[in-house]
Amino acid sequence: MTFSAALGFLPTDSFNVVALIAVFVLVAVGLHFTFGLLDVVNLAHGEFLLIGAYTTYQVHDTTGSVVLGMVLGPLVAALVGLVIERGVLRFLYDRPLDSLLATFGLAVIIRQTVQLIYSANPRLVPDPIGGSFTIAGLNVPWWRLIVVAIAVAVVALVATLFSKTRFGLEAQATVRNATLAETSGVSTAAVRAWLFAIGAGIAGLAGSVLAPLNTLDPQYGLLFLVNSFLVVILGGKASLRGLVIAAVVLGGSLAILQFVISTVIAQIVVLVIAVGGVRVRPILTQLIAEHRERRAVSIE
Amino acid sequence: MSAELAVAGLHTGYGSSIVLRDISFEVPTGAVVCVMGRNGSGKTTLLRALMGVLPIQGSVHLGDRDITNWPGHRIHAAGMAWVPQEDAVFASLTVRQHLEIALGAADVDEGIAAAAGLFPILGERLDQPAQTLSGGERKMLGIAQALVVRPRVVLMDEPTEGVGPLIVEQLVAAIARIAARTAVVLVEQNIDTAIALGSQAHVIEHGSIVESGDIGDLHDRGILEQRLAL
Repeated sequence: MTFSAALGFLPTDSFNVVALIAVFVLVAVGLHFTFGLLDVVNLAHGEFLLIGAYTTYQVHDTTGSVVLGMVLGPLVAALVGLVIERGVLRFLYDRPLDSLLATFGLAVIIRQTVQLIYSANPRLVPDPIGGSFTIAGLNVPWWRLIVVAIAVAVVALVATLFSKTRFGLEAQATVRNATLAETSGVSTAAVRAWLFAIGAGIAGLAGSVLAPLNTLDPQYGLLFLVNSFLVVILGGKASLRGLVIAAVVLGGSLAILQFVISTVIAQIVVLVIAVGGVRVRPILTQLIAEHRERRAVSIE
Repeated sequence: MSAELAVAGLHTGYGSSIVLRDISFEVPTGAVVCVMGRNGSGKTTLLRALMGVLPIQGSVHLGDRDITNWPGHRIHAAGMAWVPQEDAVFASLTVRQHLEIALGAADVDEGIAAAAGLFPILGERLDQPAQTLSGGERKMLGIAQALVVRPRVVLMDEPTEGVGPLIVEQLVAAIARIAARTAVVLVEQNIDTAIALGSQAHVIEHGSIVESGDIGDLHDRGILEQRLAL
């Protein structure tokens, strides 16, 4: 009996669940930078996806190369993010409600601009590889496998960035105490600008690699906005590990539930899981801390 | 003697409320200048303003460079460091990481060795997160972080406040050693500590300097005691 048949209710393309989780991770890692670390309630996060996706579409349309579009998509999104951070958001770090309003406004502007240029008609970006292979009865499309690999690579790179580089150290200091970081020699303005640009760039990357899996329209980014906030809040704002776990739990639930019930009900269930998770997380954290303490004592 | 730090006509505050008015003073090379005053007189605000945390009117010169309204990291790079009164550490970062942040492109190994020379206990705690240090050790870390870059001027905000007598002794000894090569602006409430370390004093009341002079002289005339209402 194959793996997917053993699960009974899952069809042979259940690898889509894994791919959806990967997309969740990718989108949420982007928001980890702008909302988790910089504390900007970034309602334009979905629009950075949109920029990545439409850049990929445009580059393919012009040059015929999807891959080139996927390289440029994140770069364009990061550049737009950088301009927005330098032009608007850097004045609003101490004013959370104003930054919420600003990103909401920017989101509408970006969305309408995309609609103005490309109309609301759905657009398609072809699968750059195409085809699939079967393993243990599971149908694995090559492109979805690559999306999973990209998500894993991005998480590994981000983890390395924070734990191994000078920039990561400066970013941690800036996030924890910006005044002290600044007066200890860190250019917090530059650190924040880079963090925002990287977050926007990762969102753009998510939009780019996702483009062949969905039809594009100007509302495309909105689909991911709420879920990515759920993931970052459930995972703990400053924790990359928590964020990946939350993305697996929420993305996994949504993907599996979509197979068995309607998408709307599935989204409601995911919201319930998120709300319950936020309630239970402090208790779990406490239990884990106590467990670790007991183990440390017994080792001594 | 040339001044390491020269402040002229400094006004600053938070938003529209002015906290400090027309503050002028100089810190000569190798001097420890004490800034004294009651709680809420504006001493901490003065250090924050000098470090670029608050916008100012007037002028601040570090050596012959005009650093008025520079961002904090450039002031740090120009040679002025700050030991804040509290929250002077990043809770989850290790002692080593604190020193690395301050050292920037400078030689990290040499800097860490210097910090461990100043406070040997920090040398034993290099890989411990700051949140696991005692209050006194955090004060030491704050001072070490400010000093590893060998600043021209260091601003210290009540470095001995809230720690036990033994630690105070160590901190005072360390500050005395630092003062041999670095100009110090010391905010200090404790008159004995201020006299032990300082050469000059400025007393701030309601945001203005009301007394200035040789600290021993101000003490002998009973002015410090009177102004600080002891």
